[in-house]
Parts: sequence; structure tokens; C-alpha cells
Amino acid sequence: MGKILESLPLTIVAGVVLTVVMIFATEAINDSQMSAPEKAVSDVMNSM
Amino acid sequence: MEAELFIIRYLHVLSGIMWIGILWYFNFVQIPSMPKIPDEQKPAIGKVIAPEALFWFRWGAFFTVFFGLALAFRSGYLAEALMLEYANIGIGMWLGMIMAFNVWFIIWPAQKIALGMVDADAALKPKMARRAMLFSRTNTMLSIPMLASMISFQNPIM
Repeated sequence: MGKILESLPLTIVAGVVLTVVMIFATEAINDSQMSAPEKAVSDVMNSM
Repeated sequence: MEAELFIIRYLHVLSGIMWIGILWYFNFVQIPSMPKIPDEQKPAIGKVIAPEALFWFRWGAFFTVFFGLALAFRSGYLAEALMLEYANIGIGMWLGMIMAFNVWFIIWPAQKIALGMVDADAALKPKMARRAMLFSRTNTMLSIPMLASMISFQNPIM
């Protein structure tokens, strides 16, 4: 980790990777908190 | 109520720009430039510019978190966000609080020693300078998903 943080370009790449991970983690958390009917509505909305 | 939320949000964003702006100044400008500055000119950075920047940096961090928490509280979603029921903003809030903790309890104490603002063993200075740099870089890395999280609360990505 220290090697990544010593390099500014690698730090930025790591930040972008973390952002992508965070986006999918957020989606997974939101999905896990939805009831079945809410999930069905969300899936329809996402497919439009 | 609307005016109150506007003012709190505005102060939150102003403080955030102060904080992250100086964080990025340190990481994108000052740290990479230090090796290129002649030794006789380095005290201008270490004795004048860095202490001043650190003042606005740490208070920017404090007020960003303060107004951010106040905004969430007055909007009625503070507990839900911190419990990740509103994961979009909750993750960003936790990242911001971790970053502010790093500023006040790791970077600032280390910089005080590294810059000679407090009495300390001379051998400790390079070690503290490296610690401050690594945690400052950590905050730069975390600022990227943190800002994405903040924006995605009002403009969902997926």
C-alpha cells in the first residue's frame, strides 16, 4: 500500500478503482434493503 | 427551513472546497515540487506557506464535517445515512469523517513535528514527514470515491 501511496498517479488509479467498487457496493446495499415489490419496481425502472 | 438548509449546504460546500482544494494543492503541487526547490528557498515553504495552508486545511476539514452532519440532521436523514440505510450518502459521510480524523489526529500532529512547530528529536522529523505524506495521499485517494458518493446522493449513478 505504501508503494501505491508514494506515487501520485497510482494513488489516483487506486481512488478510481475504489470509486467503482463503492458504486457496486452501494447498489448491493440498496438492493439488500429493498422488499420484493420494491425490487421488482426498481428492476423495471432500471430496464427502461 | 429551505433557506436554513440552503445556508448549511452552502457552508458545507464552501468548507469542502477549502479542505479538498488545499489537500490537492499539497499532493498535486507542493509535495512533487519540493525536490525541485533549492535548499536555501525551502524554508519559505516549510516555515511560511505550509503552516498557513495547514491552518485552513484542518479547519476546512472540521467545518466540512460539521456542516455536513448538520445538513443531514436538519434534513432528517443523519441516522439513516450513518447506518447505511441511505448508502449513497452514508458511505461518503463515513469516508469524509475518516479523512477528517486523519487530518486532525495523524497529519496535523505529524506535520507539527516535521515542520519544527513543536520541540522534538531531529531524527523524528523525516519519519513524521513521511507519515504525514502517506496519510495525505490516503486522503487524496479517498477523496475520489467520497466526492462521487456525495454527488450520487442527488444524481444516482445506477
